[in-house]
Amino acid sequence: MTTSGIVFNLQRFSLHDGPGIRTTVFLKGCPLNCAWCANPESQSPRPQLMTRDIKCCGCGACAKACPEGAVQLEVGKVRRILWEQCTHCFRCVAACLYGALAAVGQTMTVEAVLDIVKKDQVFYDQSGGGLTLSGGEPLTQPTFARELLKGAKATGLHTVMDTTGHAPPTVLESILPFVDLTLYDIKHLDPQRHRRATGVDNQLILQNLKRTANQTRTWLRIPLLHGYNDTPEHMEGLARLVKELNIEKISLLPYHEGGLSKCRQIGQTPLDFMAQSPSEAHLAHLMEIMTRHGVRAAIGA
Amino acid sequence: MYSKLESNTIRNKLVIKAVRNIRRGGQKEDAEKGMYRPEIKLDLQRSILLTESYRATEGLPMVLRRAKALEHILTRMDIYIQSWERIVGNNVAVPQGLYFGIDMNWRSVRRIVDQPEGRTLLDAEGRRKLDELITYWKGKSMSDIQQQVFTGEVLDYWKMSKGAAGSWSHWSELGIPNYEKVFKVGLRGLIQEAKGRLAEIDHTVPPDYVDQKEFLQALIIALEAVIAYAHRYAHLAEQQAVAAQEPFHKERLETIARICRKVPEHPPQTLAEALQSFFFIHVVRYLEYSTLGIGVRFDKVFGPYYENDLKNGRISREEALTLLQLLWVKFHELGLIYSPTLSAVYGGVASLQAITLGGVDSDGKPVVNEMTYLVLETAERMRTPEPTIAIRYHDRLPRELLAKAVDVIRTGIGYPSFFNDKALLPMLAGWDVPLETARDYAVSGCVYIELPGKNIARRALGGLNLPLALWYALTQGVNTFNGEQVGACTPDPLTFSCLDDLMAAYLTQVRFFTNRLCTIQNISNSLYEKYLPRPFYSALLDGCIESGRDCRKWGYPSTVSDFCVVLGPTNVSDAMAAVGKNVFEDKTVTMAQLLKAMAANWEGHEDVRRRMINAPKYGNDHAYADAIAAQVQHRTAAAIMESKNRFGFPCRGDGSGISATYAAGAIVPATPEGRKSGEPLADATLSPVFGMDQEGPTAVLKSAANISAAKSFNHLLNQKFPPQALSGENKERFIDYLRAWGELGISQIQFNVVDRATLLEAQQQPEKHPDLLVRVAGYSAYFVDLSKGLQDSIIARTEQDFP
Ligand code: SF4
Ligand code: SF4
Repeated sequence: MTTSGIVFNLQRFSLHDGPGIRTTVFLKGCPLNCAWCANPESQSPRPQLMTRDIKCCGCGACAKACPEGAVQLEVGKVRRILWEQCTHCFRCVAACLYGALAAVGQTMTVEAVLDIVKKDQVFYDQSGGGLTLSGGEPLTQPTFARELLKGAKATGLHTVMDTTGHAPPTVLESILPFVDLTLYDIKHLDPQRHRRATGVDNQLILQNLKRTANQTRTWLRIPLLHGYNDTPEHMEGLARLVKELNIEKISLLPYHEGGLSKCRQIGQTPLDFMAQSPSEAHLAHLMEIMTRHGVRAAIGA
Repeated sequence: MYSKLESNTIRNKLVIKAVRNIRRGGQKEDAEKGMYRPEIKLDLQRSILLTESYRATEGLPMVLRRAKALEHILTRMDIYIQSWERIVGNNVAVPQGLYFGIDMNWRSVRRIVDQPEGRTLLDAEGRRKLDELITYWKGKSMSDIQQQVFTGEVLDYWKMSKGAAGSWSHWSELGIPNYEKVFKVGLRGLIQEAKGRLAEIDHTVPPDYVDQKEFLQALIIALEAVIAYAHRYAHLAEQQAVAAQEPFHKERLETIARICRKVPEHPPQTLAEALQSFFFIHVVRYLEYSTLGIGVRFDKVFGPYYENDLKNGRISREEALTLLQLLWVKFHELGLIYSPTLSAVYGGVASLQAITLGGVDSDGKPVVNEMTYLVLETAERMRTPEPTIAIRYHDRLPRELLAKAVDVIRTGIGYPSFFNDKALLPMLAGWDVPLETARDYAVSGCVYIELPGKNIARRALGGLNLPLALWYALTQGVNTFNGEQVGACTPDPLTFSCLDDLMAAYLTQVRFFTNRLCTIQNISNSLYEKYLPRPFYSALLDGCIESGRDCRKWGYPSTVSDFCVVLGPTNVSDAMAAVGKNVFEDKTVTMAQLLKAMAANWEGHEDVRRRMINAPKYGNDHAYADAIAAQVQHRTAAAIMESKNRFGFPCRGDGSGISATYAAGAIVPATPEGRKSGEPLADATLSPVFGMDQEGPTAVLKSAANISAAKSFNHLLNQKFPPQALSGENKERFIDYLRAWGELGISQIQFNVVDRATLLEAQQQPEKHPDLLVRVAGYSAYFVDLSKGLQDSIIARTEQDFP
């Protein structure tokens, strides 16, 4: 039996998801619900409809194709989706010739994914790159994730997993043997604040971090939200953690607004969270803190 | 001290002679800018002297007339030495002058100087003088002679009156002299050789004795004239040195005088001597006959002189850099007048000069030396449109060199471009070029592949507009706008039952148009042989003196010699894939629907157009589209090669599109890939169609790797990156990307590094960006000198983002 899973994006020529030139495979589904999520379309485990209004010419082919009457048309205007009525059957996607509707999330076999990943072998050879598994949260599709990484290792590819760490320890343990490097996302060290913005506790995440750092090379990744997790104290805490666990590097990823428009494209209203990116000056200050602790740090990578 | 000028001050000496496109694709606002910048003037001295000499030599054998004309020009044309020069010479009498080949074609120039876009080129006195000269050339210029000789169909195609898919146009020649040999023996040595051959034929008396004798005598006249020309500069420098007040200038002028007394007559010993010797030969080559390009393997040829100077304490690194920068300014003094029609092809070009770095020597050992780095540094300091730099890539080039090259690319000047030995050496082997010779290949301009010193009097025989050939395959060769039968009479497309039927009809059209082009070219070459021999250039090539034959009488025995510029193969590939998928496989569109939609320029048929656009496209590492692309490219190349040159060698395609892809698109009606009538073609033979590459830069390379240079020809691939993609940590990844390109065996790649926002701003406010350089095709040009349409097409190239 071939294992398959749901992939919402395959990004070739990724330069910021681990060393070298990489292909990043994004698996759908995430147990966290971060208010600032850059890829809100990754959160739900199921395939879903996504609109691209700038491409819509108002031709109406989608409305004709929709069995649920979920497409509203006004002559000469961009069609509207009545999201409550949409069953995500994607007949409208097939009918649209303009690329104004897309199905996010495709069921793919391990082989199909690896075939695409292997296309850039020559670039991995030159750059020391390989496969990065990301999400969503790849650990929400544990068998698929494991088979992908295992298959990649079997063909000699360098593997990276980008994870939130929110998964049962047994799941994590079953996958780590096939991971060369883990990019481990930490949102906040404080349990309260963590729960408030992500919907889950951080205890499991921090415990899993120890397991991970023991078994693979590990880089921490911190999405930086001004006023939420970019205080000097929080940075000091992170720096101590990095030291304590022998983590190689910490990447600071300043918040960007990309997620907001995507929320609308999948028919959701963004959560009420005043996300802001830190200023250049503040970033420089945070980098200083890391340097002072002797921690290797980078912005955006 | 070599110069009192800082790098930036040297840049201020640049004269910009780039031509602006005022024809096809050019717009009214372009014409108002004028064909050249206002300070640029048409120089008539060569024309006047040439005419005097022609009048005086009527009745003599042509080869002697040409040599005497060159002698007349070189001994009488005004010469000048500017206050900052260390390397001297020019093909015109004043720094702002434009070369004019009145012996080739005067009609378009006569017309242009009366029109608003060319009025600044000549004053009233100049116009009067021009008319007087024309009374002599009427009936005698090459264009006049062609008009008399071409008849019937050939005449029609020569005039391009019917909207044919092949357009014969170019007359400037490229080619690379054997500088290494000339430096070894000096022009004096060549004269001795010619005298030796003369003595020899007096014994052997070969059947073409008279031809050989006249040619060798002419060659000696030409070489002596070049030596005398150098001595005129020596004399002028000596006079100026006497008058010079400052010791710095006195010394500078005395040095010039000493060098010009010595070279090119005798072998150079120092870098300064070698560069001066080279430049004299370069400008006289341009003077003898309308010429473009350089092609010298700069590091291979000049590296040893520099290293020797360094070793003997004769020069410092900084002095060498200054010398190179001053030479770069001199390169910019070479410009010529283009016909309005050619302005559409050469939009933004002055003299299309390129030099080559890297590669291997005749034993296969890498060529990288201090000069390689000096040239890159010069380019970085000067940021000039010419000369562009071609680096011959192979996997033994040091990473350090690639890093330096990336720094230069990041400035946005559009070069160095990279040529892949892994692709091009096998290609040359396929054309029967011996390995040792192939290892010396160089790039003279755009992506013209040449063999230094070999008799490849390189002239593109015209452009082959492939999407138009495909269009004719869908109209049975009829120009549906006027009902004329222009192409081959291929079967009715409604009878096509599979993609192969369309492919066959298309290839028939390609053969048909190439054949017409080649016929014109072959007749023209016969005319050039009779009327325009090149005794001076012949002396610089292997085999002419030895055999006593002018370079026009024979050719280097290989397909490398004759080519036509190929336009739009990836448009054809996408069109074929779209037809294959929609019409023959999925049957979502019928042939009749498609033809109707195309005839209506898609109006009212947007659904059909979308289906054609949504079909798999080349440039996405998509197996279906890439397989068709490879088939289109390889079979097109094979069809072109069925046409032969005068010596029986196949003609071939070439990826040098210049800016013609933009102009060529203007005459192509709607094509099946969803392109609308008049839209530009893809900007290079390996470039995906604008905006159709959606899978990122690795996918583009993977697609391009399916097209083999050995099975086709040397190509061109444009990639656009934002500047940050080459900066910081990304720089190493960019080098990795480049090395992967090398591994994949793709024949060429070049980069446009400038962000969209800057281009848009430069279009709106040109005065803010007078120096913004962009890569057009195989050359770089000032963005503000390009036509609006060409600017738009550069903005439209997909920018490969770094996620
Ligand atoms: S089919 Fe596509 S383009 Fe037409 S109205 Fe629907 S979404 Fe818009
Ligand atoms: S996905 Fe299905 S239900 Fe939803 S709008 Fe499209 S056609 Fe209608």
